[in-house]
Amino acid sequence: MTGLNMLSGWTVSGDTIMIEQMPILGGYTGGVEETAICDVATTLASFALFSGNFHLDGPIHIRWGTTMARGTLQVAAHAAAAIDANTDLLLANQYYPIAGPCTEMCLLETAAQAMSDTASGRELLSGSAAAKGVVENKTTGMEARMMGEAAACTAGMKVADVNEILNKLIPIYEAQYTTAPAGKRFEECYDVTTVRPTKEYLEVYDKACATLTDLGLDMSRFNNSGIRVDN
Amino acid sequence: MSATRPLTITDVYERFVKGTKVPESEWDNTIIPQNISRHKEKYNIKIEENSIIPEDKELINNIFQAGLEMLVDTGFYCQDLGRVLKVTEEEVLEGVKKAPKKLILGEGRDICRFYPRHGNSPVKPIIQGGPTGSPLSEDMFMKIMQSYAQEGIVDTLVNGVMTTIEGKPAKSKTPYEIRATMAELRATKEARTRAGRPGLGV
Repeated sequence: MTGLNMLSGWTVSGDTIMIEQMPILGGYTGGVEETAICDVATTLASFALFSGNFHLDGPIHIRWGTTMARGTLQVAAHAAAAIDANTDLLLANQYYPIAGPCTEMCLLETAAQAMSDTASGRELLSGSAAAKGVVENKTTGMEARMMGEAAACTAGMKVADVNEILNKLIPIYEAQYTTAPAGKRFEECYDVTTVRPTKEYLEVYDKACATLTDLGLDMSRFNNSGIRVDN
Repeated sequence: MSATRPLTITDVYERFVKGTKVPESEWDNTIIPQNISRHKEKYNIKIEENSIIPEDKELINNIFQAGLEMLVDTGFYCQDLGRVLKVTEEEVLEGVKKAPKKLILGEGRDICRFYPRHGNSPVKPIIQGGPTGSPLSEDMFMKIMQSYAQEGIVDTLVNGVMTTIEGKPAKSKTPYEIRATMAELRATKEARTRAGRPGLGV
């Protein structure tokens, strides 16, 4: 009821209303197909029942607590493609990698979802909440940089080619789920006076870009070589 | 521009109030799983393991139809009232039709335009940078938000959650909750200004 009360005010005020919903893969709805059907149903409800202006999705894995597992990427991509093909609705998705900042795994997880969301027709990518979004200060602008740059490199590619890259990329990070690196806090990733990323993080970023380029996503235009760093 | 939907928020409230009473456990454990299985079988929906993004148009349309029917046949549950609202297919489709097809986020030179992309359009999606609800310490909140605002690829922002305010836990249902929320807004405004993008949408 609290939600309806707030919506009642927002609709009258003319606010932009984002309705968020995160279906749980492996929960009451079941497997990939079932959760994708439920995701479509609840997305449509956001617009038809709750006056949403855009919808923020976030299929999450019941065991791993991430939006980047193979199954959760499939749910999000199939639901988005289905709605995208049949409506003009504005669709978004949110990002919860397992690994923490300043690790290649975190950046590869983020890139995988950015590729999947972009190629399945979503309009907005929101994130990224590294370390599953539950550890204080374990999130930085560098993960959003990867989210955006991987999306920019994916936009316009053939979907079959994107699928091919994802089928090589996902096993790389899924193999590390039980040993995922915790990563570093913001204070260890940036000079907190100048708010510039450390040389270490820029090098990790470039390594992730090189891995993605090797897999077929050309990230070479976003290499950080030559960027000035203060520390 | 967002037209009034066939069902307003008060219409939805009235329907919930008059809806059928259903125990939450029955909704979660029986109604939802059974109805989804029925729609999955009806539309013969099978997703192959190596298909991350669907390429089969029939499968794509079947998932949409199954989702639409799932909503109409099953309804929507209100946990607070323990009741189920029903909606017709016409109401859903009319609501979808009247949803906005474009939005502008932000102000001044920092606006971004939110349009349907359709398929894998060469136009990149909007990048909403931010901690997406992650916990942030009071002393680092503004700096972390600045780290997102200063990224050139970022078009709009999303907040993190300030864990303390004036050193006290920002617990919900206490006066600290609203103080922390207001502090988040002030810090995010400062972060945008320091990044030279004061009009970024949040």
